Amino acid sequence: MTSTPNLENSLSRAAVVDLVIAGVNEALAMAENPPDPASLTEATRLIGESAVLDSLGLVTAVLEIEQRLADQHDVVLVLADERAMSQKHSPFRSVGALADYVLKLAAEQGAHA
Amino acid sequence: MSIQWLLDRMGQWRAEPAIARGKRLTTYGELVDRVEEWRARLDAQGLRRGQVVALRGDYTAPAVALLLALIDRGAIVVPLTEAAETQREEFLAIAEVEVEISFDTADAWTWDARPVAAANPLTQQLRAEGEPGLVLFSSGSTGKSKAALHNFTRLLDKFKVERQRMVTLTFLLLDHIGGINTLFYTLSNGGTVVSVTTRNPDVVCEAIARNRAEMLPTSPTFLNLLLISEAYKHHDLSSLKLITYGTEVMPESTLQRVAELFPGVKLQQTYGLSELGILRSKSRDNKSLWVKVGGEGFETKVVDGLLWVRAHSAMLGYLNAPSPFDAEGWMNTGDMVEVDGEYLRILGRKSEIINVGGQKVYPAEVESVLLQMPNVRDAVVIGEKNPITGQVVTARVNVFEPEDPAEFKKRLRAFCRDKLATYKIPAKIEISGQEQFNARFKRMRKAEPVG
Repeated sequence: MTSTPNLENSLSRAAVVDLVIAGVNEALAMAENPPDPASLTEATRLIGESAVLDSLGLVTAVLEIEQRLADQHDVVLVLADERAMSQKHSPFRSVGALADYVLKLAAEQGAHA
Repeated sequence: MSIQWLLDRMGQWRAEPAIARGKRLTTYGELVDRVEEWRARLDAQGLRRGQVVALRGDYTAPAVALLLALIDRGAIVVPLTEAAETQREEFLAIAEVEVEISFDTADAWTWDARPVAAANPLTQQLRAEGEPGLVLFSSGSTGKSKAALHNFTRLLDKFKVERQRMVTLTFLLLDHIGGINTLFYTLSNGGTVVSVTTRNPDVVCEAIARNRAEMLPTSPTFLNLLLISEAYKHHDLSSLKLITYGTEVMPESTLQRVAELFPGVKLQQTYGLSELGILRSKSRDNKSLWVKVGGEGFETKVVDGLLWVRAHSAMLGYLNAPSPFDAEGWMNTGDMVEVDGEYLRILGRKSEIINVGGQKVYPAEVESVLLQMPNVRDAVVIGEKNPITGQVVTARVNVFEPEDPAEFKKRLRAFCRDKLATYKIPAKIEISGQEQFNARFKRMRKAEPVG
C-alpha cells in the first residue's frame, strides 16, 4: 500500500475544497451554460434539485478530483464506488460534503498505511 | 485431389511470378515443382491423411509450397506465425498437433513429430470425411483463443471462380482467415504474392513500389500508421489500385484521409470471421463505411441490430468451445450493424459497446473524432465501470509531442464538444506511453491499462 505520511499537513480542508471546486469547474466547462466559476462555494449542490451537474457531469468531476488528488497530493482514492453510493447522506450532495468525504477516506488510508 | 484444380491452374502460368519476397522471385513453375517435392517428402516421412500438422512460417515459397502439399495430402493444417509465438504451446495443445514443421529465416525446415494422437471428435469427423483441414485461432483480444476447425476443401471452393489477377501484398498473416483468403485469391488467379518480413509502413511501401503491387489488404490501424508515418511520400505507390480494410471497425476520419491521399485507389471494406470465411463485399463508395456483404455461399440477416451469417464455408466447429451455430446453421457474429437497404454499417463488437447511463457508445465513433485532434497519433476508447452511470468512456491516447495532461484533457473535451454528444465525450482521459495495437495491427481495447 502506498503510504501517505503527514496527511493532515498536506491536505488541509481548505485545499480540498478548492480542489473539489476546480474539479467541478472542469466538468462544468462542458455544460451548455456553465455558471460563473467564481460562484461555486462549499454549499454548491452537486446532485439532486438545483444541482449544478447532471450525472455525466458528476462522473467527470469525480474523476477529475481523483486525478488531481493523485497528481497534486500523491493521494490515490476511489471516490465513486459502492460504498459512496450506499452512504446514508450522499457524499456527492455538495462541494463541502464531498470535501469531507475526501478527507475521511484519506485519513483512513493514512491510518492503514 | 481436393486442390488439384488449383495446381493445374498454376501449371499454366509456369513462367509467371508467383511469390516476390525481398529480391527473391519464385515463378509458378518453381512453386508447382516445390509442391511436388514436398508431396514426395511428406509421403517419404509417412504422413497420413488426416494428421494434424502445424506449419510455422510466412509467405515464403517453401512454406506456401508445403501448405499446398499438405492440403493435397489431406492433412489438417495449423498455420502458426510470429504473431502467435507467445501462445504457440497453447495452440499446439488445443489443436492436438501431431507433427510440427518449422521454417527458419533462411528457409531451412525442421520436422518435429510430437507424441500426440489427435482425438478431438471434430478432428475425427473431418478425418472420416477424408477432407483436408485448417485450424485458425480467433484473435482473442478479450478472453481465451478459440480454435476453429475448417474443411479446407470447402473454404477453397469459392476460389474456383476466376477473378481479377492482382499483384498483392500479403499483409495479413498466414494464420489469419484474411491472410489465407488473400493467398488463395492471388494464387488461383495467377497474381503475385508480395511478401514482407516486417509490416512497418516503410517496408510495406518499399515492397509495393518495388513490385508495382496493385492490391493492399490491410487493417485500419495500419492505414492510420501509414498516414502518420508519411512513408507514402518516400515511395512510388502509383501502382496501387485497391486497398481493402477489415479486421476491425474503420474510423471514419481515417477513411476520409486515406481517400483524399489516394484519389485513384479504390477503397473496399472487407468482412469475415475465422469461423465463417471472408464474405464478398462492396463498399458504397471510397469514402463510405456502408458496405454490402454476402456473395455466393453466404446468407446474412440482422436480428436486434446484430449481424448473423450462414456460410457454406463455415467451420465444422471449435475444437475447444461449444458450437456457435444454431439449429439452422446461423452464427451470431457479435457485430452490431446499422441497416440501409442492402447496405450495412458495422458499428462495433456488442461486447465493446459502452453503456453510459443507458446510452450506447461505440468506441470507433469516439476514436474517429479523437484521431482528428492535433497532436494525436492514436486513440483507443474503452468502457470502465462506474457506480454513477454504470460505465464511463475512457480514452487512452498516444500523442506525437509530450503535452501537459491537464491541458490535454481540456483541449480534448473542447475538441469533442461540437462533434460528439456529451455522454460520448471521454470522462476519463489518459495519455499512453505505449503502442496500443497488437502484432496484427488491430487496436486492443483491454479493460486494464496496457503495461
